[in-house]
Amino acid sequence: MSKRVLCKYFAHGACLKGEYCEFSHDWTAPPSNVCTYYQKGRCAFGSRCRYDHVKVSHAESSSNSQQSHVSESVSITHPQLSRPLSPFPGSTSELAGSEIPSIPLRIESAWGGESEHPDGLDDWGNGEARVVGPADIPICSFAAAGSECPRGENCPHIHGDLCPTCGKQCLHPFRTDEREEHMKACEKKQKHLESLKNSQDIECSVCLERVLSKTEIAERKFGLLSECDHPFCISCIRNWRNSSSTSGMDVNSALRACPICRKLSYFVIPSVIWYSSKEEKQEIVDSYKSRLRSIDCKHFNFGNGNCPFGSSCFYKHAHRDGRLEEIALRHIGNEDGCRIFSVTCISGEEPIHSDVELLGVESDIIEKWKGWGIEHGASNFSCSTNQIKLMTLCHNEKMNVANPSLFFR
Amino acid sequence: MIDFARVQKELQECTKDIEASGIRVTPKSDSLSHLVGIIPGPIATPYEGGTFQIDITLPDGYPFEPPKMQFATKVWHPNISSQSGAICLDILKDQWSPALTLKTALLSVQALLSAPQPDDPQDAVVAQQYLRDYQTFAGTARYWTETFAKTSSLGVEEKVQKLVEMGFPEAQVRSSLEAVGWDENLALEKLCSG
Repeated sequence: MSKRVLCKYFAHGACLKGEYCEFSHDWTAPPSNVCTYYQKGRCAFGSRCRYDHVKVSHAESSSNSQQSHVSESVSITHPQLSRPLSPFPGSTSELAGSEIPSIPLRIESAWGGESEHPDGLDDWGNGEARVVGPADIPICSFAAAGSECPRGENCPHIHGDLCPTCGKQCLHPFRTDEREEHMKACEKKQKHLESLKNSQDIECSVCLERVLSKTEIAERKFGLLSECDHPFCISCIRNWRNSSSTSGMDVNSALRACPICRKLSYFVIPSVIWYSSKEEKQEIVDSYKSRLRSIDCKHFNFGNGNCPFGSSCFYKHAHRDGRLEEIALRHIGNEDGCRIFSVTCISGEEPIHSDVELLGVESDIIEKWKGWGIEHGASNFSCSTNQIKLMTLCHNEKMNVANPSLFFR
Repeated sequence: MIDFARVQKELQECTKDIEASGIRVTPKSDSLSHLVGIIPGPIATPYEGGTFQIDITLPDGYPFEPPKMQFATKVWHPNISSQSGAICLDILKDQWSPALTLKTALLSVQALLSAPQPDDPQDAVVAQQYLRDYQTFAGTARYWTETFAKTSSLGVEEKVQKLVEMGFPEAQVRSSLEAVGWDENLALEKLCSG
């Protein structure tokens, strides 16, 4: 199937046809400059057309060749007007003609003007396009949108099966993967709508308003606390956590605590819906974190800055060349000064192996690390990041450090 | 900036269950940033039968900052200053939470009346008396309640009536009574002098 032109629906992220689309879903493909009207046999602009009036050879274009290559190989012929052939019995030729040149078979038959019967397509030297399986017939968009198809029985497209979730005729009977994809997407959408409905009545305990009915649109969002399940609107909970401690309120014990249960939460997750189960909450948290992971940290600034959150930062710490931040672990600050070690990680694919330089670590700790399979050299270790985490935990335990992640700098 | 929409809601909520809690919050002026809270003295304490007025000032950061509360009625209590009426209560200071409301804060103050914390006193004299000689403390507290927290057995309208009968114009009587906290003796003094 020739896929020269980038699908405009795909470009907007809304193509329903997936891999069955007749248009290209490949961003990297060079833009086609071929006049589509000329391909159909008629271009009103004639020689003044800004697009190339060339007939694209099917064999060439299907090999996805470069644009220049296509131009070289095409032969310019006089376009002949011809009545398009419809591969579907029962459909009228006007209908087929008014269609976008979606099915290759039809485009081809338009070119092969001299041929009045499908066998005349032999000059393409490629028989595959002639075989139209039921899976190749697109689904009727009228029926899929839930409205009645004006063409009724005569519709050249397939009227899909009823989707049990959305109740529209949008399941292609012969494309199983597409069916599944739609069902999944539809169920997800339905679930989202349902939870949105359930979230409508939830009030913020600070402003005492219903979160999703607040006057400011930007404020119609929940602020989820990581450690408890009390609902607040995002602006209230952020305001509280950011409020300056004028009345002697402690940041760590009061401001970071839930206003209702006083449980400490170290971060707030914005969400337009309120969750009804632990799994749903986890899903919201995970998608939020992964979203942040893709955004470059402004503190880290591609390695030029210094992020106060270190490796616990939710944002991406990558250099301009795409190299991830090297996790350098330094642990200094014990009174007797003997338990110091530093880690320099060589970044790359997981697992990251590192050389750990150890200065004055007790032998029992070293024995413990050996038990975790960490190889021990004269004064250095080779280990993965997870092992470093374990090592720090173990190390900090001895030193009563509450937040070991602080040492991943 | 004070969240007035929330204050408005709090006042509505408070009026709704005034019967159950006995706690009243009314705005002092039109601005809603100055309010008066009224709590009944808890039963089975020396404060029983008294009605205590509390001045409430909302800071700009309310509800992210605690409201400033002070007893306007004189109280004999280890955690309340007998001079200024200042209250020593953690939720009005570092333990404040924006999920608390004026009503819940006043409920806490009421609970403080029934459960004094002499180890963390606001008024050292009272606290010492409470620890050393509870009987005297209870007596004094009861006396103060009788003297200051029971404005009189007369209702507001009866007081107005009484003063109007003495020959003062009603509008003037009402404003003077309000100015002195509904004490008819002080109001009479004020009316005579003014």
